[in-house]
Amino acid sequence: MIDSLYIAWRYVSYNWVRSLTLVACITLIAVLPLSLELLLDESERQLLSRAESTPLVVGAKGSSLDLVMSSLYFGKTLPELISMADAERVIKTGLAQPLPLYVRFKARGAPVVGATLDYFDFRGLHIAQGRNLALLGECVLGARVAENFGLNPGDALLSSPESLFDLAGVYPLKMQVVGILEPAHSADDLAVFVDLKTAWIIQGLVHGHEELVNVTDPTLVMDRSNGNVTATAKLTHYTQITPENIDSFHFHGDPADYPITAVIALPYDDKSSAILRGRFVAGEQPRQIEVPGEVIEGLLANIFRIKSVLDAVILVVGLATVLALVLVFALSLRLRQREIQTIFKLGCSRLTIARFLGAEIVIILAASALLTLLLLGVVERYDEPLVRTLFIR
Amino acid sequence: MIQIHGLNFTYPGGTFHLQIPNFQVQRGEKLAVIGPSGSGKTTLLNLVSGIVTPELGEIEAAGTTVSALSDAERRDFRIRNIGFVFQDFELLDYLNVLDNILHPYRISRALRLDSGVRERAALLAGQMDIGDKLKRRTDDLSQGEKQRVAICRALLPGPRLLLADEATGNLDPRNKGRILDLLFDAVDAHGATLLAVTHDHELLPRFDRVVDFADFQQTAAA
Amino acid sequence: MHYAKQLPCLRITLLLLTLVFAPTAIAADKLKVYTVNYPLAYFTERIAGEQAEVVFPAPPDVDPAFWMPDTDTIIAYQRADLIVINGANYAKWISKVSLPRLRMVDTSRPFADRFLQQQATSHSHGTGGDHSHSGTAFTTWLDPGQAVQQAEVIAAALTRKRTAAKQLFETNLEELKSNLLALDERLARVTTSAADSPILASHPVYQYLARRYGLNLRSVMWEPDEVPDESQWAEFVKILEEHPAKWMLWEAEPASESVERLRSLGVESIVFDPCGNRPESGDFLSVMLKNAASLEDVSR
Repeated sequence: MIDSLYIAWRYVSYNWVRSLTLVACITLIAVLPLSLELLLDESERQLLSRAESTPLVVGAKGSSLDLVMSSLYFGKTLPELISMADAERVIKTGLAQPLPLYVRFKARGAPVVGATLDYFDFRGLHIAQGRNLALLGECVLGARVAENFGLNPGDALLSSPESLFDLAGVYPLKMQVVGILEPAHSADDLAVFVDLKTAWIIQGLVHGHEELVNVTDPTLVMDRSNGNVTATAKLTHYTQITPENIDSFHFHGDPADYPITAVIALPYDDKSSAILRGRFVAGEQPRQIEVPGEVIEGLLANIFRIKSVLDAVILVVGLATVLALVLVFALSLRLRQREIQTIFKLGCSRLTIARFLGAEIVIILAASALLTLLLLGVVERYDEPLVRTLFIR
Repeated sequence: MIQIHGLNFTYPGGTFHLQIPNFQVQRGEKLAVIGPSGSGKTTLLNLVSGIVTPELGEIEAAGTTVSALSDAERRDFRIRNIGFVFQDFELLDYLNVLDNILHPYRISRALRLDSGVRERAALLAGQMDIGDKLKRRTDDLSQGEKQRVAICRALLPGPRLLLADEATGNLDPRNKGRILDLLFDAVDAHGATLLAVTHDHELLPRFDRVVDFADFQQTAAA
Repeated sequence: MHYAKQLPCLRITLLLLTLVFAPTAIAADKLKVYTVNYPLAYFTERIAGEQAEVVFPAPPDVDPAFWMPDTDTIIAYQRADLIVINGANYAKWISKVSLPRLRMVDTSRPFADRFLQQQATSHSHGTGGDHSHSGTAFTTWLDPGQAVQQAEVIAAALTRKRTAAKQLFETNLEELKSNLLALDERLARVTTSAADSPILASHPVYQYLARRYGLNLRSVMWEPDEVPDESQWAEFVKILEEHPAKWMLWEAEPASESVERLRSLGVESIVFDPCGNRPESGDFLSVMLKNAASLEDVSR
């Protein structure tokens, strides 16, 4: 056996180009489906983990997928809005704690996530540089947003107008970057976090302006009557919050009516979760309450159905490769007919000849197996960052 | 050393038929076999070495009735007792000179490769003036050097019978003589018998005897 | 023999170590509770006892309702286990900062539907129509009944955070409640005879006190340490014609010039300290009892 392996090894190493090509082909055909399996499993795990760690999401009735994608992954589709009254409703049930979210606006293409500080505790987000939100108008950046925009604490970031032509609508707010989060390896890395109230400032529901009651410029005042001062359009609204003007910022209307896109509900236990779900389903308001894990599982089941197609394709390609390899071996055998005849003449048995050829195949296969294991080991070791880089942005 | 009586051989398919009523080679004799192409000279070598077997007749070589052996016995007999030297050398380009010389020991369990064999191989190579080329690839050798490697390979197991099929066929005139000298010296030194098929009439006077295959009946394909 | 002599020394050493490190151990285990005014700090201290470290970081010379903490203080609030707020839009700074809502305790939530609104000048602009600022009266604790409810909310929040100390919190709460109810009785007694008498207040901070005890109270916008100007006196005289009060409540000791001028108009001054911030001496209860004593003068 050793002689067979020795002779085979000499042949394989002499014809290294052919041998490497064969090893590469076999390795590829082995590594592809297996590493795809590993990466898809990891993708599923990563996508699901964020969903599974979020117990319940409350939103306007409509697409559950849009609601979950907006709340968990800050997707582009804006779900129908609900209000802070819905967060209050959750508190009043005494069954869960609410985390209101307002994911509507953008800053240079990155989603602006209006949330409370509790969101950071919930998601385990920690500050890497600077500090967390403290005052209106401040923002904290996800790790990748900061990197992509080249921003640091102390820099400014302008929110984007919702529409170029809606001049009277949402106007840009110059936000102060006060902190950058540690990488969370999730959608949070790509978000700009602001206090809910700052998101309402971007919308114009909360604003600051020159003091109006005692103003002396008559061109700023349209009417004073019944204890009300009506301003003209000349009145300047502040587009940046500073220590000098922060006191002037105020709310208009009932804060309970202020809009949000979703409420993440944190039930105290499973029983509370079930009761809460029942109450929202039976409620009069057009609201839905979803279990993100179930929604995403359903989505993944559909997406990963494509995996079966991929598996079938890889199988066919694999078969074709195997056939090609068999052909290569057969042709190689033909080319070596003379060598085989010579050693037969010298006194070599057909079985020994078969052993020589078999040993070559064993060496090729062993090399492929080793390389496959090595590559799979690397894929498994780095599956998390690979999935983040390749599949989940 | 070789005795053939009443031999009748036909290749499968009936394309060639050879009849040898009587043929003998003495021990230590250096016999040249000549004849036109297709006359069966190589077939003779195949019959003597047991590569093929006759339908009729008896072949005795190196004291063994080769025609009566089984396939496995003929293989073992061949590798122990018979050394081959081919026209095209038939060396393996993926083995170095030493490995080519040792090759018979790796392809049959009838021969056992040990340190003694490696030493003998080195010695033999030295005698053939290729002792400094043991680690070289055969592609790097000249035609003459290649044939010397082939001769070392043939001689290493200590064969009693050396079969050379056009051993000088691919060599230039200078090397032809040299190789033949080496072959004859080796045969003498090892006490072997040489049966050489050749087209080279210039070399015939150097042999002990010359047999013309035209003396034997053969039938070519119609 | 040698070891027997060492044992007492060992015991003493261990005892000393315990005494040194035990306070630290207890301190490390205490809940950290931040409040937005002194009354809430007082209630929390009374209820939580040793279970909490109560912090009310506003400087002593500011009105906590209008105080704006610096960034470091805001961050300290963020790190608290509980943030006890008054509600009724008391601490104006809360709407300007980021705080963890789940750790905020809105103590006036139980009676939020009964907040009093005070007249404030509204303004409007854009397409939103007329809007009014929430001119919500925010000195909720001046109604002892409401103070009791606020204390109950604090106790419930503390219990949720530290279930093991529930009994302690309940006991302390009952003690505090009995004090507040006794105060309520005294104030009720004191104000009964003054029920219909017109009373003036130097500042609009006594709304809940007035509602609780049916006081005929009207406010102006004066500061104790500022003497009103002539236009303010003129306005005051007009008010006095409609509302012929004999007493004016001040948040703190007023300027003597103000007192004299008021006296010349037939109005005597008494101090009723809302106690929004920590008093120089005494505590919330002693200040309220002192206030009650001052009101006794009104009722005579």
